[in-house]
Amino acid sequence: MLYDLALDIGSDYAHPVATGRHVLRVMPLVLPGRQNVERAALSIDPQPESRRDFTTFFGGEASGFVIRHPHQRLEARLRARVEVTAPAWQTGRTLAKAALPAALEAIASVAPDSPHHFTGPSPRLPPAGDAIRSYARESEGAGPEIHDIAFSLMRRIHRDFRYDGKATTVDTTAEEAFRLKRGVCQDFTHVMIAALRVLGIPAGYVSGYLRTLPPPGKPRLVGADAMHAWVRVWCGPQAGFIEYDPTNDMLAGEDHIVAGFGRDYADIAPLAGTLKGLGGQSGFQRVDISVV
Amino acid sequence: MAETSIATGGKTAEGALPFGYAPRPGTFDEMTAADGQVRTTWRPLLDAFGAGGLGEHGERFARAERYLRDAGIHHRDYGGSSAARPWPLSSFPVLLAESEWIAIADGLAERADLLEAVMADLYGKNRLVADGILPPLAVAGNPEWLRPLVGIAPRGGHFLHFLAFDLGRDRDGQWRILADRTQAPSAAGFALENRVATTRAVAGLFDRNAVHRLAPFFARFRDALQAGLADGDERVAVLTQGRQNPTYFEQAYLARYLGFTLLEGEDLTVIDGELMVRTIAGPRPVAVLWRRLAGTMADPLELDEGSMTGTPGLVEAVRAGSVTLVNALGSGILETGILAAHYPAIARHLLGRALSLPAARTMWGSGAEAPSSGSCLVGPAFGTLPPFEKNSGYRRGAWAEVADRPDRVAVDDLPLSRAPVLMQGELVARPLTIRAFAARTAEGWTVMPGGFARLADRDEDGALAFRDGGRSADLWIIGSKPVPAVSLLSDRTRQPILRQGGNLPGRAADNLFWLGRYIERAEGALRILRAYHARLAESGRADLPLLGSVTAYLAELDIDTAEAVPKMLVANIDSAVYSAGNIRDRFSPDGWMALTDLQKTVHRFRETVAAGDDAAHAMTILLRKLAGFAGLVHENMYRFMGWRFLTIGRHLERGLHMTLLLAHFTRPDAPEGSDDLILDIGDNVMTHRRHYSVDTSTASVIDLMGLDPYNPRSVLFQLGEITRSVVQLPDSAENRLKLRRDIAALEQDLAGCEPGSLDWRRFKRLEQELETFSDALALAYLT
Repeated sequence: MLYDLALDIGSDYAHPVATGRHVLRVMPLVLPGRQNVERAALSIDPQPESRRDFTTFFGGEASGFVIRHPHQRLEARLRARVEVTAPAWQTGRTLAKAALPAALEAIASVAPDSPHHFTGPSPRLPPAGDAIRSYARESEGAGPEIHDIAFSLMRRIHRDFRYDGKATTVDTTAEEAFRLKRGVCQDFTHVMIAALRVLGIPAGYVSGYLRTLPPPGKPRLVGADAMHAWVRVWCGPQAGFIEYDPTNDMLAGEDHIVAGFGRDYADIAPLAGTLKGLGGQSGFQRVDISVV
Repeated sequence: MAETSIATGGKTAEGALPFGYAPRPGTFDEMTAADGQVRTTWRPLLDAFGAGGLGEHGERFARAERYLRDAGIHHRDYGGSSAARPWPLSSFPVLLAESEWIAIADGLAERADLLEAVMADLYGKNRLVADGILPPLAVAGNPEWLRPLVGIAPRGGHFLHFLAFDLGRDRDGQWRILADRTQAPSAAGFALENRVATTRAVAGLFDRNAVHRLAPFFARFRDALQAGLADGDERVAVLTQGRQNPTYFEQAYLARYLGFTLLEGEDLTVIDGELMVRTIAGPRPVAVLWRRLAGTMADPLELDEGSMTGTPGLVEAVRAGSVTLVNALGSGILETGILAAHYPAIARHLLGRALSLPAARTMWGSGAEAPSSGSCLVGPAFGTLPPFEKNSGYRRGAWAEVADRPDRVAVDDLPLSRAPVLMQGELVARPLTIRAFAARTAEGWTVMPGGFARLADRDEDGALAFRDGGRSADLWIIGSKPVPAVSLLSDRTRQPILRQGGNLPGRAADNLFWLGRYIERAEGALRILRAYHARLAESGRADLPLLGSVTAYLAELDIDTAEAVPKMLVANIDSAVYSAGNIRDRFSPDGWMALTDLQKTVHRFRETVAAGDDAAHAMTILLRKLAGFAGLVHENMYRFMGWRFLTIGRHLERGLHMTLLLAHFTRPDAPEGSDDLILDIGDNVMTHRRHYSVDTSTASVIDLMGLDPYNPRSVLFQLGEITRSVVQLPDSAENRLKLRRDIAALEQDLAGCEPGSLDWRRFKRLEQELETFSDALALAYLT
């Protein structure tokens, strides 16, 4: 499927900001066999004094930029054409959970695609508390294989949590979202990662986009108005990573466009920044994806 | 001072040890050998103390204590709160023979090279993981492994430049590494300071010719850092977390000693990939940054997002290769217990042999073979603090406890040797660890011939004895022949001496400006309060119209005359100390002492002084102490950019003070005695009598206190001083040129006035104009 992707992301400030330094992580990834970026253009308003692009540890394309004159609004615009092929997840070849420790031990690598990055605590996901621990344990018996467990957790989170854009913020912890049983894709994703790590299953964060308008006859997907997030789970050396979207109760497919991978939100926050200025700010995001 | 029962002192009788020193049986003692005899290394020092015992030398050790107190590093003392220096000094040194030290130094250099290789691998190809030498968890699960730094080659090719190692002896007397300090090691400044203090204790008593000097080590390190500078505009800076850091004073001391700028994260900015310090003359490049700040905290944008002390963009500067960090961001991983557990295997893998200087055994993982004997400490696998530090998370445990816990390590708890420490005038044996320092130079690692020795308060085997604190001592390496004396000050440096106007960071300029203002504000308050209380004591009545007028005037400044020593006066002095504390590296110890003495006195007076005569007297004492501080600053402070901001601050505040007084007390309805009051506050009663044959009149007072260009308390005099300082500030931007014009215009305007044509309304307006100038100055230079 060929998409035209449009993202407007930024902040409005209550008072003019003198200096702003930001890192933007929104560019779609090139993933051979799954995702190809035909063209992509990023523009920033106001014009940054300097901009430096770099590749993050997990392979995403990031832009660091500085704006050094007073401004009350920051807006970055991404226009890209992306071709997506539905991934052929090897759900039938995932590893038995019991075989996981030995399989992990056999992988002597800390390269970006190594599962070892995704087993322990990460900046936004400290070791889970009792509530998430016992929630995770309830899926442990869903089946012998990692996929059975991950699928069960995805189902349950989708069933037990209400999608609510007002209940949480970008800074809400997984524990808090779990207590509320509400939130957005970021919260669903954090809870599912935390639960999988409780069970020793390597799980990470995927940031990206979701097709805005559904194909005829299909329901509109949730979370398509802004950037989306879902979970990637390491299912053994044969199946590799499989991606689960707990917000929509589905495996990532042709409608999911990947922008980057991380251990949690902190690794891949779309727009991070530090400002010199007074007063509050409100962030905005608009995503529009059309089929070409 | 206790008299020791063994009167023979240093020259001991057969079998007796000096000064009642009793080594602990079954432990290795630094001063005495197994046969009970004093080791030859120590003999000359003990002989030097003579036969009278230590009791005769109490004054010497008091001298060392006094030095530390006067140097200002003994106590952290800011804003009234005071905490003892960590590891107070035992003025009795710990001695090691040069031959023994050379073996240690060689071992440390070898270990430093290994650590560099490990660092290069962890942030490079990760062969150690691929080859199965390091478990992936040790890296991927390690919070000190900073992913944004992976794959970035350090500027200049090296990750590590300055390291510290903690060492202790095992039961056999073999030195072993207890901890590698690779991130931002502290205490080199304390070692230096301990050396100066201890030297005072033994001055004239002991020929120190055989003791290795520390200065050459620091000179080599300084030269090595400066060798990394490309041109005259680049500089070396020390990055501090600021005064909340327990070793802030040590950092300030080292920065001053080495001649490097001391900076906080907010002093720095990154412009197009280049690390810059914000100075009063604009941004200037920093090419070498000696950081005393945890790597995770160094950049809130790309590292720990919660950091309040870092510099956004620092990682970008590293990526751009514009700055050398001492040490590289991410080097904290080398300190973690899980890495320590693997160094022996890494050494065998990379070097094909064990390191020459062994480390305390550290065990991790189920495969680890538990030693058959020896007690151990169990702690966090990803912790960076050594077991003997508070809050390190280590406790006594069993080797088996780590088997199924990859988050734990177990460390051999060495019994440690004993060394003499001076406690209440006696020498007692206490457990010893030493911190050694290594610096990278073009010729390789150089190890400081000395170090920071720590002695526990409690006499028990093992690292936990240090948890309750202890003392530090100077470590002397005793050569076989005299060593040449080199001081850092006399040493000829390779770098040309640079005199640049713009080096002053904006934050430092801001603190100097406000120090000047607070000091002068305190003086203004003191003078008027003294005049008030003197009149109160004379008349015995607070309801005199003049006193009521003073009360109303001071109320405007939030000063309550009902309080003998008003809260606001104390607050002004506290604020002055706070501003000065932010720029400790720019102050002489004398100036700092005078200021903190003033602060202590005003706090004491607030509790004890009564209104009237008592208060007038107290204000006189405070004024004298304040004048003492001002005099020290005036006589000693280098007349450059920093001085100018301090001067502008002082004269601005003094000008405001006199302007306000004139605006209030020359009104037509001012009570009787107002004119004399102004003269009294301005210390100008005698001058007035000499200059004006007439009685005191409002016009004569305005002439002397407002318009006299030769009177150092007049408003016009202050404007002249400000104008002279402002023209010497860097002036690139238009708003700075305007600043000069504005203040010069104010001065000329006032100078052209006739005393008769001026009244209180003009001074009211002048107050506004001065405040506007202050804001414009802050905007142009200090933000």
